[in-house]
Amino acid sequence: MSELRRDPIIGRWVFVETDESSWHPQDYEVAKRHINQAAVCQLCPGKEAQTPPEVAAVRNNGSPENSPNWLVRVVPNKFPALKIEGELEKRGEGIYDLSNGIGAHEVLIETPDHNLTNLADFKVEDIVNVIKLYQNRSLGLAKDKRFKYIMIFKNYGESAGASVEHAHSQIIALPMVPKYVLEALEGYTNYYSFRGRCVYCDMVEQEGQQKERIVAENESFISFCPYVPRYPFECWILPKEHASEFRLLSDDDTQYLARILKETLYRIKAALGDPSYNFYIHVAPVNCGGPKNYHWHIEILPQLTRVAGFEWGTGFYIIKTSPAVAASHLRKVDFNF
Amino acid sequence: MPELRKDPVIGRWVIIATERARRPGNFVDPQKNYFVDEEPCPFCHNADQEIYSIKGDDGQWKVKVVASAQPLVKKEVQFNRHGHGLYDVVNSYGVNEIVIETPEHITNMADLDIHQIQHVIEAYKIRFKDIAKEPDLQYALAFKNYGWAAGGRRIGHSRSQIIATSINPLRVKEKLKGAKRHFDYHDRCLYCDLIRQEMSSGKRVVAETEHFIAITPFAPRFPFELTILPKEHHCDFSQGIVGHEEDLAKILKDILSRIKVGLEDPAYNYIIQTAPFNRLKRGDRWQTIKQDYHWHIEVLPRLSLAAGFEKGTGFYICPIPPEDTAEFLREVEV
Repeated sequence: MSELRRDPIIGRWVFVETDESSWHPQDYEVAKRHINQAAVCQLCPGKEAQTPPEVAAVRNNGSPENSPNWLVRVVPNKFPALKIEGELEKRGEGIYDLSNGIGAHEVLIETPDHNLTNLADFKVEDIVNVIKLYQNRSLGLAKDKRFKYIMIFKNYGESAGASVEHAHSQIIALPMVPKYVLEALEGYTNYYSFRGRCVYCDMVEQEGQQKERIVAENESFISFCPYVPRYPFECWILPKEHASEFRLLSDDDTQYLARILKETLYRIKAALGDPSYNFYIHVAPVNCGGPKNYHWHIEILPQLTRVAGFEWGTGFYIIKTSPAVAASHLRKVDFNF
Repeated sequence: MPELRKDPVIGRWVIIATERARRPGNFVDPQKNYFVDEEPCPFCHNADQEIYSIKGDDGQWKVKVVASAQPLVKKEVQFNRHGHGLYDVVNSYGVNEIVIETPEHITNMADLDIHQIQHVIEAYKIRFKDIAKEPDLQYALAFKNYGWAAGGRRIGHSRSQIIATSINPLRVKEKLKGAKRHFDYHDRCLYCDLIRQEMSSGKRVVAETEHFIAITPFAPRFPFELTILPKEHHCDFSQGIVGHEEDLAKILKDILSRIKVGLEDPAYNYIIQTAPFNRLKRGDRWQTIKQDYHWHIEVLPRLSLAAGFEKGTGFYICPIPPEDTAEFLREVEV
């Protein structure tokens, strides 16, 4: 039997199965991932000329731009969803509002190794390089005053929307703050004015006391299955101390973040049979004078289910595995760095 | 140049791809819709206890409503609320029914005849009116998951579901708020304004009957998304539909057939969006709901997958302009 739980941030109600009737990992049908595309891959080393020129990279000692000797590489998307040239022009069409599609769309190639497809299998220092380029591009794109939100996200596996197999993340700079982020910020602000505390700090506190939903923990970060998820086995990684700025992490914290990201992704991979997943980093908007205070975090969404008419129509989600049961399966995985 | 468009009701921005746009004929269900027939089909000549049915002259049911075998919510529990630290919880009190749309083993509603679809609509209407009498229920939803990618099982027998819950869902609240905002400002129904504009421009109209219009929305989330709107204003489906059941059946069959023929029988969802129940009890908040809200049906062919960007931002990338999908669907021969 399920119960309805209300997300304290945006007020969404979610059907969550109780512990006793929860589905276990073997009850999900995990979609197969990509067929091997190594022969035609345009993101592999040696194919640098097939992508637009790089905008940033971590390279082995002094190798020249757009040459093969790189570790992580960021290039503009060859098929961008938004165009970088021009000014934002808003206009109306009767009752409708629209504008031209100004924005930036970049691809971050996470490794030269085509066969190392899952970030879960990366070495910690390689994930550190990926995070450093996330920060570098977030800071770089925020200098462009046309952009109000910098979204970093990853699609792993075809059923999570990845169109190529080679490990990559994407960065999209948007000329307006997206709806889901606005709702989260509004919920954050409402909670703050009502209780005088950060809702995410309260979550960290409650998770630390109850412990049953914790997946992993280190000095600076906690990874847990949220009490009101949108997807089964969803995991959030939060800085334990209130922090607005993902872009300015200390070297130590970058290390700790890489470690907990690897551990969480590895536990998901091992417990659920290497499912597709998405993750994204929620941060505060830029260049718009709005609330700058926020508790940045990463949300990881394994792709195990199909969203049906009921969810599309209502915004209710149905979760067949309680977060406590999900976390206990993830904790059971044998993991060592 | 891609375009950013704003949904006029809930204010969601979407990116409409133009240059990376694919041609309308190139969209297919990425999860390859197919059905595996169980022997015997649990819905063919179903003998479960009926909650409601419409019978033919021979006394056999034509459309039958039964309790769900795997209910999401149940009427047998008493409604209650409690807290869990900083979280709010309510139990699973509610109604979950299956509408078996035909005694015959027909898979897609598009292949039912108009009178059979009319009976399905009548069954929704009767059940909504009955469920509305429950004081602890706030909202009823009728929807269909056709095919695997749409969340359905692989049993090829046309059916849909009714779910009623004790709380108002978030997406419904967003729509109600958006419609009210427009009404407070303009003293007019937003959906009525939208219908007038769409009928005069015609570029997003896919089909029209005496009482209904089917359009591709200006800022869709998904390629080939459709909205069916009643031309006459009414906030409530079960009241507004009275006398127009056959006309709705006509446009629904027309739309579903265009999707089936034009897009190679993809999975799809439809959802009836109506006003919540018991609306006058809850103080001033929804005082103008009768004037400001307008019931409608969303039809969503499943031709794309939501990825990290969509899940993380609520910002959708629609790979083809709705004007192109409307034109394509208009030209499908049915």
